[in-house]
Amino acid sequence: MLLAIKLAYRNLIGAGLRTWLNVLVLSFSFVVIIWIKGIMVGWDHQAKTDMTQYEIAGGQYWQETYDPFDPLTLDISHALIPAEVMPEIEAGDMEPTLLIPGHIFPNGRMQGVTIRGIRSGQSIWKLPTEKLDTVVDAIPAFIGLLMASSNKLETGDLVTIRWRDANGTFDAAEILIVDIFSSNVPGVEAGQVYIPLERLEELTLLEGHATILSYRDPEAPRAELTGWTLKPKEVLTRQVDELIKTKSTAQTILYGILLLLAMLAIFDTQILSIFRRQKEIGTYVALGYTRREVVGLFTVEGTMHAVLAAIAASIYGLPILYWQAKVGWTLPMDASDFGMAMAQTLYPVYTIGLVISTVLLVLITTAVVSYLPSRKIAKMNPTEALRGKLQ
Amino acid sequence: MIKFLIKGLIRDKSRSRLPIIVVTIGVFLTVWMQAYITGFMGETIELNARFTHGHVKVMTRAYAEEMNQLPNDLALLEVSALREELSLLFPGMEWAERIQFGGLLDIPDESGQTRAQGPAVGMGLDLLSENTREVKRLEFERVLVRGSLPKEAGEVLISEAFSQKMLVEPGEEITFIGSSMNGSMIMHNFTVAGTLSFGVETLDRGTLIADIEDVRLALDMQDAAGEIIGFFGDGFYDDERAYDTIKAFNAGYKDDPDEYAPVMKTLSQQGSMATYVQMADIWAKYISLIFIIAMGLVLWNAGLLGGLRRYGEVGIRLAMGEEKGHIYRSMIYESIIIGIVGSVIGTALGLLLAWYMETHGINIEGMMDGASMMMPNAIRCRITPPAFYLGFIPGVLSTVIGTALSGIGIYKRQTAKLFKELEA
Amino acid sequence: MKKFKTAVLLLGLSLFALTGMAQPTANEILDRVDRNMYSENSIVESSMTIHGRRGSRTMTVRTFAVGDRQAFSEYLSPPREAGTKMLKLENQLWIYSPATDRIIQISGHMLRQSVMGSDLSYEDMMEDHKLTDVYTATLNGTEIINGRPTYVLQLKAKASDLAYDSRRIWIDSERYVPLLEELFAKSGQLLKRTTLSEVKQIEGRWYPTKMVFKDMLKQGDGTEFNVTSIQFNQDIPDHIFSKASLRR
Repeated sequence: MLLAIKLAYRNLIGAGLRTWLNVLVLSFSFVVIIWIKGIMVGWDHQAKTDMTQYEIAGGQYWQETYDPFDPLTLDISHALIPAEVMPEIEAGDMEPTLLIPGHIFPNGRMQGVTIRGIRSGQSIWKLPTEKLDTVVDAIPAFIGLLMASSNKLETGDLVTIRWRDANGTFDAAEILIVDIFSSNVPGVEAGQVYIPLERLEELTLLEGHATILSYRDPEAPRAELTGWTLKPKEVLTRQVDELIKTKSTAQTILYGILLLLAMLAIFDTQILSIFRRQKEIGTYVALGYTRREVVGLFTVEGTMHAVLAAIAASIYGLPILYWQAKVGWTLPMDASDFGMAMAQTLYPVYTIGLVISTVLLVLITTAVVSYLPSRKIAKMNPTEALRGKLQ
Repeated sequence: MIKFLIKGLIRDKSRSRLPIIVVTIGVFLTVWMQAYITGFMGETIELNARFTHGHVKVMTRAYAEEMNQLPNDLALLEVSALREELSLLFPGMEWAERIQFGGLLDIPDESGQTRAQGPAVGMGLDLLSENTREVKRLEFERVLVRGSLPKEAGEVLISEAFSQKMLVEPGEEITFIGSSMNGSMIMHNFTVAGTLSFGVETLDRGTLIADIEDVRLALDMQDAAGEIIGFFGDGFYDDERAYDTIKAFNAGYKDDPDEYAPVMKTLSQQGSMATYVQMADIWAKYISLIFIIAMGLVLWNAGLLGGLRRYGEVGIRLAMGEEKGHIYRSMIYESIIIGIVGSVIGTALGLLLAWYMETHGINIEGMMDGASMMMPNAIRCRITPPAFYLGFIPGVLSTVIGTALSGIGIYKRQTAKLFKELEA
Repeated sequence: MKKFKTAVLLLGLSLFALTGMAQPTANEILDRVDRNMYSENSIVESSMTIHGRRGSRTMTVRTFAVGDRQAFSEYLSPPREAGTKMLKLENQLWIYSPATDRIIQISGHMLRQSVMGSDLSYEDMMEDHKLTDVYTATLNGTEIINGRPTYVLQLKAKASDLAYDSRRIWIDSERYVPLLEELFAKSGQLLKRTTLSEVKQIEGRWYPTKMVFKDMLKQGDGTEFNVTSIQFNQDIPDHIFSKASLRR
């Protein structure tokens, strides 16, 4: 076997440019497949990270009537925070959010919004809540970039907001936009206004109430709370999984064809080798190799393309892939208005499983493609082959 | 000379067959791949176009400003006149009137009391007129879960999930409560003809699909429509063409100060589509580029291999006194012929498959759980002009380069050694 | 139309108004407005003009009211709205639409919808507390409004479940007719303004026959309400105020 590998290596190197072209195409496949898969994993990762950092944290409890798709029930979707989670909230590992429907009136136009009461000292999201400590006459508020651009609002703007308290009494006030954040999570930006929780509770006469309880740790087992629905992280990120799944199907076809191309080259090369090296084959048989061993020899030789390609790919591909993971792949356009959680820059993430599976995939495919033409050897007449006669 | 070469290629199958097959396969894959990528990337765009955006969309200026709020009070009036104008201006395009609206669906019990109620988003489109393309365009048939498509006025489709939540069966009557074009509260009865699965939670929650004439009646929108969407005749979005179209249309209203004058927008000017259109374009280009490079390398290698195959032949020709340059040139010419023939066949085959997949698509529904409107059910190709020439780049160029490189060997061979080689 | 409700509420008209010599207290003023407000019952025909962004629409409506707890209105025109009926009993509201032949109760979220695209919500229309019951009134001086002397009353909610936390009402100090009313949010932000004018004497009562409602946070010209005829103390049969009469 060692001999076979040595021989195969010599033969390949001896073939010069032809081998290197094959290796290049194959290594190309390696890098492209790993990169594309990496981008997908990276996207998945990024979307989930963004959601974690801006929306769902480690998972949530929803007040039982809360339904993000039904604005009509939002005004009744809040409840007293259960006593059993109070220690967690005091420790800062759980954040209550109170959602109240309201309207804002930018330039005399009325637009429905959700007012989100959020604690300014929270540390489970990357939302700029510290800005809510700004001391101003108006209510300090921050909004997402989507909201800001669709309503032409800027930091420092004052805008009237109207809501109703727990008893249905109208209230209205000016809010001062103290910050605008950008999160890649449309759900926390579009139509959302963030103000200090204590302020909202007080204004709506809902002291101690919340609509959503978000906890930090996604791993710890969670107890059921009566009147609340537990929404673990996996459930909240399911949409991302589904999106990535559909995208992946298309990509499989893509690199399947890329591989097919590379295999075309290997196949062609193998056919020619066997055609040109009949004498050599005859000699092997004359030397006592069984036909199977000779087939093995040629298969190893073909497969070695993939090995060399893997090496080549790691020589030029690793730096590229590493650089990509560092710098990210910036979409050469503005992604801020993309409907899904999609960042301007996607950072590919390469997992060990991804790399190993790709290497195995290419290696096995190459081995099969190398083997197929080699089967012809088994049918050769060794004496004829030795004489170099075409068969 | 060329004639002679061609004769040689045709008679000596070993000289031509395998190289042509390899070039053909390579070019075929490149061409088909390019069409597939374009089609795949375009699928999401077309889906959005068919469902809401059109390739272009006509609205009033005021409506366009607040498009996401479905402001039917700002809808287009005198739509039939506008339709005529559009057909006159853009004869090759298809136009469809749509009304999007929101409200509540109220389900009565036997005594007419409210049994269940829920928010719904509605879309009015032409379901019933004789030559409507809308039913086909939105593939309602494919996503129909129960019941049938509306056959007469007053019949509507609702989302399956909604019908289950509200316990409504096809054939039952429901009341839509909403506001008319001028803000009055309206109630209108519809009969549920069938239920649809959209595959997108927001739509499955509560969607009402009704014939536009019914919607006009219900919302007091005689000869009005929120939007008129237009589609290019070939059924594919083309950003440049869309911009040309809107330019031509909007120029006609340039001096009209009315905020209710019609304005046309391209698909890429609506919602988040700009990003997607650009992204699709960029991805398609990157991926095609990767493919062409990879293909180039493969065919280059094939050219090299071709040269090697003919090592013996070249030896004999040299021995017979043929000039080295002549052999070299003739081999280059041959490779050009092979490259062209292979590229032509490959492009033809690639286009053929792409064309088949453009018209029929390859059904992948079985690969997914249940049909849904918002997921493409088939892999479709899209043939764009580059598909006709892109294959030739690797097909001809790389074959020739490969041959040229391997052919250099001819000049290195020494006549003295030839017989020794030939003896072997 | 029912929006009339607010109007009816506000309109106390009294023929018999005593002309007090000393300045009355706020509650006395309201009492006087309130007390004279309702006739036992009334039949009012009115038109409502809604000034939208794209022009105005006018509809006419006939309303039967008994006290301020029961009201039945029927739209007379335009043809599209004709036959639509509304019934208000206490704090419940039903609408009948002839097109669907269905009676639907307007509740919860739907109460907050605008009435026929106007600047009033169904909820505004439904409000039927006696002002003196739910608000503490203070007299805040006098002002001249449109050439009429008025008392300026400041009303602060007693109960916490009112839509408007405070109001300010300008009441004609001779005729005891409100001429202007402003509704405020808890924060003191002005939300809505009602202007009443064209005060006429009808069956001996002073009555404002034109009212303009305006949502102050929104752009626009508001909703105009004109009384075309009004009859007091008519014989209205009880069965009118039943759900059955909606279908009739």
